[in-house]
Amino acid sequence: MAGITWHYVLKFIITGDAAVGKSSLLVRLTDQRFLVNPDPTLGVEFGSKLIEIPEEGKVIKLQCWDTAGTESFRSITRSYYRGAAGCLLVYDVTSRASFVNARSWLADVREHADPHLTCILVGNKVDLCEENAEGASNGRREVPTEEGQRWADEEGLLFVEASAKSGQNVEAAFEQASRDILDKIKRGVFDDDRSPGVKLSKPTNGNLALDQGSAKQGCCS
Amino acid sequence: MDFLSQTYIALRGPTGAPQSAVDTIAKLSDRLSPSTLLADRRAAVLSLKGLTRDCKEDVGARALPGLLEVLQNDAEIDADIGKAVLETLHQLCEVDEGTKELGLKHTDYVLANERTTHTLFALLGDTNFYIRYATLQLLSTLLINRRHQVQSYFLKAPAGAPSVIAVLEDKREIIRNESIVMIQALISQSPDIQKVLAFEGAFEKLFNTVTQEGGVEGGVISLDALRCVDGLLRFNSSNQSYFRETPLPSLLLSLLLFPPTLQLQDAAPQEFALQFWDNQKVANVSLVIGIMGMLIGSKGSGSPDSSVYIRCFIELALGSNAPTALKTQTLRLLPTSLTFPLSSVILTPYMPVPDSNGEEWDRLEPASALDVLVELALHGEYNGLYGDNRGKDGLELRGAAVTVFNNFVHKDEIKQAIVQGMLSSEESTDAPSISPLLHALCIPPTSPLNLANVTTTHIATLVFSHLLGSSPRSKTIARSIKPPSAIPPTPQGQFFVPADGAPPGPQSVETDEDDAPQSVLHLLSENLSLCFLSRSRMEGTDDREAREWDRLIVGYLCLLAQWLWEDSKAVREFLEAGALGVLVEPINQTSESESLVPGLCAFLLGLCYEFNRQPGEITRSTIHPIISRLGVDTLIGQMTLVREDERFKAIGPDSMVLPYSTHAPLGINPADTEGEIWFDWAFVDFWKSNHYTVQKGFAMDPNTQASSSGPNAESAMLIGSLRDVIRAQAQEIDDLQNKLKAVSVGETQLNDLQSQITGLKTELKESEEKRKDVEKEQEDLLVLLDEMSTKRRKDKAHMRAAGLEVSEDDADGDEEDDDDDE
Ligand SMILES: Nc1nc2c(ncn2[C@@H]2O[C@H](COP(=O)(O)OP(=O)(O)O)[C@@H](O)[C@H]2O)c(=O)[nH]1
Ligand SMILES: [Mg+2]
Repeated sequence: MAGITWHYVLKFIITGDAAVGKSSLLVRLTDQRFLVNPDPTLGVEFGSKLIEIPEEGKVIKLQCWDTAGTESFRSITRSYYRGAAGCLLVYDVTSRASFVNARSWLADVREHADPHLTCILVGNKVDLCEENAEGASNGRREVPTEEGQRWADEEGLLFVEASAKSGQNVEAAFEQASRDILDKIKRGVFDDDRSPGVKLSKPTNGNLALDQGSAKQGCCS
Repeated sequence: MDFLSQTYIALRGPTGAPQSAVDTIAKLSDRLSPSTLLADRRAAVLSLKGLTRDCKEDVGARALPGLLEVLQNDAEIDADIGKAVLETLHQLCEVDEGTKELGLKHTDYVLANERTTHTLFALLGDTNFYIRYATLQLLSTLLINRRHQVQSYFLKAPAGAPSVIAVLEDKREIIRNESIVMIQALISQSPDIQKVLAFEGAFEKLFNTVTQEGGVEGGVISLDALRCVDGLLRFNSSNQSYFRETPLPSLLLSLLLFPPTLQLQDAAPQEFALQFWDNQKVANVSLVIGIMGMLIGSKGSGSPDSSVYIRCFIELALGSNAPTALKTQTLRLLPTSLTFPLSSVILTPYMPVPDSNGEEWDRLEPASALDVLVELALHGEYNGLYGDNRGKDGLELRGAAVTVFNNFVHKDEIKQAIVQGMLSSEESTDAPSISPLLHALCIPPTSPLNLANVTTTHIATLVFSHLLGSSPRSKTIARSIKPPSAIPPTPQGQFFVPADGAPPGPQSVETDEDDAPQSVLHLLSENLSLCFLSRSRMEGTDDREAREWDRLIVGYLCLLAQWLWEDSKAVREFLEAGALGVLVEPINQTSESESLVPGLCAFLLGLCYEFNRQPGEITRSTIHPIISRLGVDTLIGQMTLVREDERFKAIGPDSMVLPYSTHAPLGINPADTEGEIWFDWAFVDFWKSNHYTVQKGFAMDPNTQASSSGPNAESAMLIGSLRDVIRAQAQEIDDLQNKLKAVSVGETQLNDLQSQITGLKTELKESEEKRKDVEKEQEDLLVLLDEMSTKRRKDKAHMRAAGLEVSEDDADGDEEDDDDDE
């Protein structure tokens, strides 16, 4: 049956204010769907997806946890930061407040996560701006692209604008982040013990081959 | 301890009175203050710990604040004081026999805010053995007493999840074991905690433990770890999808020694089929199976992953030496919409070698899973080796097999194919091959009864009624089944031959030449009548044997009821086989001891009356006076008794086996574990939905049209009202069209009317759409109605042919067609 199915398992978390579209991005990534009225997330939902990074010749299994954004759940969310290799920090380009709050989410991430965690800033819902992109007003946009980019640069974050609704740049966001993580692995930034969010598909010696990708069947389908 | 009591004595003085214990505690409590020396605080804690057993209340009242303070400040720094304070707190909070309130009161104090709990989770990170161990114990106790509170604090603890995972990894067995116990309580009913622990790698750690302990061969630690896994997954869809992403689902199979990549056409290995079993292993495997069943259940049976699981279950239940209870569990966990190709999977059943004490096994001929399933239901495990055993376990397994069979034949095509397969037996002339099911169904009852055969035939009636139930086509095919005229009353299953043994020679049964083969239906009514005869001789002699006869009778009656329902041809055949006499007698001679049989006979009689719609010797008019003589009220009363009988009421979708003792006669003391089967859920369901029709039917005049063969009042009303809707809408459309025309004519008003037209157009479209929907619905109903009226016309023709009076009042079929065409 299946030979090698993936080379790395990368744990991702998605964080940011409520209603910026975190769950929608995850559903878009894993199911290629968009729900107009998703259930507001109560806890953390899980989804996974195989992606390929052709120039590295690697297949990556993304394991993605969608965190809830409300304040009361924030303490739980922190538990997830520590174990993640990558983080999507999401705001809504039509909501300045969500962009402003992204600063405090980032502070949380910085405080609790592995210092080598790769974080990508995602400005979601760009579809709402493009409806009348021809017009002068640029739709309902409240955060200009340049401003998002500038802040990302300042903080050393990757940056992309995306839409869970149209699917634009959703996979690309995860790919960009994964590339960055692979690059860090190549440069030897991580060693296996220190990044709980990265797992090799090779069995660790002596131990049960729990993370051996090839042991699982039918996962590519 | 010596040291403690000495300190105690030293503190209270040699002649200490009870009051001075309180003084001592007060003194000791004062010494807990941070202002004293660490060594003094340590000594004070140790002394308090010694006092706790006898003066729990006083220590709690006086020392708790100071103890918590010490825990906060000193535990991390000084392991000795840490251990002592943890143990003291544990003793204070533990709920023991007499002092339930007290333990809870102390617990509430400890949990008054999040501080202590956070300290405890932080202390888990300490690698000192005693600190970890005592912390785990205290946390477990707090969780037992006030789980919710601890859980909510845990979610806010800075490093809660990682430190819990860290203790799971502890190489020291005692710590790891204790941590599993604590985690079981911690995750209970908290999806958030379950998720965060899964995220932190709890599954992997737990399975490491299971594997290190020797997998399912491991002891209670394996069991606890598997329980934790179960707790993390059950009711948690997020964790279930995560779990599926890991290699662990196939690890579960490997734990059972089942190859995760086994293909459908390959045989399961013997090392899986034949294993040594002890109680601990049964408990462990039961958990593994439970987890697997949950994963199948939440995903449906279509996916490739779950089909390996289903295969594993089927092999375990049908082709292994696993204990009976496990086999039953696996069968019950199979999905109810079973699409697994049972008939094309070949498996190898085994049988224990006699007197080998379960250590040697014979391999039997490979057979299809479906055949083995039916065999299991009909004769019990191991080729009917224990066929006459009435142990509850064995019956539960056979009952579960019946249910799986029922689920498997859910599709009408499958039912028909199987019934069709039973037909072919009449074709072959020599060495009549007879389907095991048919054989089991037709075994003639012998007096005295053969216990194994009673169960076999009874279960065969259940299986067979599933094949016919609500399938008119299967019923039609079944009517032509003619089993070979002589059925050898073999005591047990004979359909598997040991692989190394010779096949059995043709049964040497003398076939009476004149005896033309009878239909199954005929045979069944004959057997039923035989049973009644033998049963009547039993009255007052052997209650146990009488009960066996009753059970067999109930089996036949239930099958017949489900077969004859809405099948007038079968009704006629049954009546012509002498049914009236057979049914009337038991209704007439109600005995005190038996409440089921007369009611079921009454039901069957009413059913025969209701569906006796074929011309024949015995008409409705023949039956009607009999019903009148027996009395409609009596008949209904007897039917009510069935519904009120415990043996009927106790049946659920998943439980058909009852403990034997329910009505056990005095003087006989059957083994505790003995069980019996009377009804299955399918019949109970059937009865509940149909008994009213039969009761109503009793009171009907013989010339009344069948109430359930035409459209019933409800659907007639529905059709009527739908027709009205369509008519109204057609009218509306006409009106609108006229209006539109009028509008477009008046040129001068064009501008004003333009907007009106648009509005009307949408309205028209909407109502047209609505009309289409209704039309579609009505078309379906009309097709149905048409089928029914064709049938009714045919019936009438038959009745006219038979010289019966037929009403002419309803030649309404054509009108309906007209409506349909518009
Ligand atoms: N137009 C548009 N709406 C979106 C997009 N992503 C999410 N939404 C909507 O925004 C709302 C909140 O999304 P949700 O995924 O629940 O946000 P979460 O609270 O961050 O998980 C929902 O009504 C979504 O349909 C997007 O890319 N474009
Ligand atoms: Mg959400």
